[in-house]
Amino acid sequence: MTAKLNVLRYVLGAAMLGLWRNRTMTLGAVVTTAVMLVTLAAFLAINDTLNEMVTALGRKSNLIAYVRDDARPSRVTEIMQDLEQRPGVGEVVFVTKEDALRIFQERFFDQRDVIDILQANPLPASVELRMDDPAVLPALADELRGMTGVFESVAVPLDVVERLVSISNVSRAAGTAMIVALTAVALFVIANTIRIAVYARRQEIEIMKLVGATDWFVRGPFIIEGAFIGLVGATLAAVALVVMYLQVAPTITRLISFLPIATDVSFVRNLAVFIVLVGLVVGSIGSYVSVRRYLAV
Amino acid sequence: MIVLQNVSKVYPNGTRALDDVSLQIEEREFVFLVGPSGAGKTTLIRLINRDTSPDSGNVFVENTDVTRISRREIPKLRRRVGVIYQDYKLLPGLSVRQNVEFVLKSTGEFNGRTSKWVDEALALVQLSDRADHHPHELSGGEQQRTAIARAIVRRCPILVADEPTGNLDHATSWDTIQLLVRINALGATVLMATHNREIVDTMRRRVIEIANGKVVRDELGGGYDG
Repeated sequence: MTAKLNVLRYVLGAAMLGLWRNRTMTLGAVVTTAVMLVTLAAFLAINDTLNEMVTALGRKSNLIAYVRDDARPSRVTEIMQDLEQRPGVGEVVFVTKEDALRIFQERFFDQRDVIDILQANPLPASVELRMDDPAVLPALADELRGMTGVFESVAVPLDVVERLVSISNVSRAAGTAMIVALTAVALFVIANTIRIAVYARRQEIEIMKLVGATDWFVRGPFIIEGAFIGLVGATLAAVALVVMYLQVAPTITRLISFLPIATDVSFVRNLAVFIVLVGLVVGSIGSYVSVRRYLAV
Repeated sequence: MIVLQNVSKVYPNGTRALDDVSLQIEEREFVFLVGPSGAGKTTLIRLINRDTSPDSGNVFVENTDVTRISRREIPKLRRRVGVIYQDYKLLPGLSVRQNVEFVLKSTGEFNGRTSKWVDEALALVQLSDRADHHPHELSGGEQQRTAIARAIVRRCPILVADEPTGNLDHATSWDTIQLLVRINALGATVLMATHNREIVDTMRRRVIEIANGKVVRDELGGGYDG
């Protein structure tokens, strides 16, 4: 037990000493990691905002299916129940002819004479869908248009929906590519730092191996160095993120209030925690890769 | 006890370092390993602490076939076999005492009890009063004695030395040999590869001569040239 503790103490001590001896490289790797993680965080925030926008605007873009006056009410109810079960569909509302008329009268107050002249209610009843995922709208619209016995016509703000969906897809793809690239850069920088550390201590490593140190005793300090670099870089990034959030977010919200920018505290907190974890993982993996490659113990 | 059975080793560049070598060294023996440069002496020593593996044959150290042990078991073997090199292999940034302690720290064995082992090892090599010096402040002989202290601090039953006097002058070489003889007398098996004709001829111990990767002579009480 005490031997294990001794080993742990030695490994930690050696890691800290190694980082200090190699401090210029260490600092460079920490800064690179921090920059990559801040960018990652900014990107995740932007992506999240875009997703929110897509969802929010998607909710507003309802599908309206106008019901034929001669359609059987029981059939309409059946269809509505079916629609409620569909993925991507948020809410299904039935608007009666009377409701439609009232809405029309409220909205076009100065033209209500038109209706008075007609004497009968010319407005159809309708089924309105509020969507969770606007991407399923086009297919749904086609399906409803096929039910000619029930629906007169189907109105979809298709162009807006399609554009939103494509923006969201592009942003997601670009985001993923960027995250992959940045992670690769951070991995490379950390792996390289550890490689140099291994090289600088090759004499020590050789002797340790020859006198019977275990693999993990030799590798441990390097892995911890990488993890430490990742952790410190990530902590810097998280601090920067919180500061930016406190300073910048209120201004943005004030200037462009219609944007559903992710500014709530829990989002930022989760993002900060996520970033710290990413830093730790990237640092550990980067150094592990380097140790595996350059430390033939 | 060290046993080699039909050991052959060819390096990737085609050099046949060892060719069907068999030999046996008993516990507490003191053996000189002689032969021209490139004869295979260093390869033989490296086989014993599994610093390299043979292409064929078996190497037994204390009844364990070290050619068959897993990577994880190598440290255990090396903790039983102390090695001394011609170039000392000391860590320049550490003092004499720290260099010796380094072995114990590397294996997590350094504590109050084993720090006494460091004192004893330093006393045996007569470096107690230079314990806080760094290698660059020491003479060659003192550096080699530091390396010997490091090799014996864990009280290894086996000590192998690869040309330990190769960089030392005449008098210092003799000091080093006297030290190895004392360590042998204290119970360790000692295998020493050397080019030092005078020492081998004077000591009259068992001599194993290797040439072109083969054992050409194995003689008790032999001289350098047989």
